[in-house]
Amino acid sequence: MTVLTPSAASGPFTVSGAPAPIASSSTLVNQLSVKPRLGQWSKILIGGPNLGTDESTAMAILYPVPNGGQADAFVIQDQGGQNTIELSQIYVFATIPGDSPMVEAFGYQTI
Amino acid sequence: MNRRELLQKALGVGAAALAVSQLRAQSAASQYNGPAGGSRGSQLVTILTGPFDTSSQPNGVAPLAATPQYATYVRIQAHPGQEGKIAIGGPAMASTSGNVTDSSFLELWPNWDASFDNGRSDTWILSDPKWLNTIDLSQIYVYPEIAGETPIITAFQLV
Repeated sequence: MTVLTPSAASGPFTVSGAPAPIASSSTLVNQLSVKPRLGQWSKILIGGPNLGTDESTAMAILYPVPNGGQADAFVIQDQGGQNTIELSQIYVFATIPGDSPMVEAFGYQTI
Repeated sequence: MNRRELLQKALGVGAAALAVSQLRAQSAASQYNGPAGGSRGSQLVTILTGPFDTSSQPNGVAPLAATPQYATYVRIQAHPGQEGKIAIGGPAMASTSGNVTDSSFLELWPNWDASFDNGRSDTWILSDPKWLNTIDLSQIYVYPEIAGETPIITAFQLV
């Protein structure tokens, strides 16, 4: 039977000094969300393989959440119920090196 | 019929349907509660609702269900008025020996006094886009940073 399962790519995603793909090899999922880690001060840029360290090529820019309230988030899901989101083609950059935005990804698996 | 009566009626029907589905699963010697994963019924019922207490679990980390149970929609909300962050993750969060939140995939900010975002609480929602029961509640773990705090959790299943 088919279940929606957390991807191994889920968790805090530490960004050093350059944009990095969420997965280093091909990983297809149904749903992805990226949020700033609460209490950290980076802005988080999200983009494709051409993502740079400024905002000019970002498809989403997330504001940090220093002190309570709703956290900013980038969320995408295939509404057709398929694993179509390729994590290796989605890049993340944190404006403060070492910050670790939270990546959450779920994909369909047959068990 | 007012809204309250309508809600009571809906919950009553849902509970009855759920009981039937659980009996069906148990009689088939299934290793899960309720409908099998990937199924799609015609009646939306709540299978988990209200403040969720993890304080009796090791490290205060608890799965949403002790045995596999498949939902189509899950919502976890920071409990208004409480002061700790809420971490959400997979089974690795239960077995970690280090910082539990480092093994999570998401954190919810607390909402202690409604002074941010017009009082809205941080909330995580996961739903199956085709409204299939594909989300295994036993694989989703919750950890309140402050022991004893209780995020508000709702899970729906189609039976």
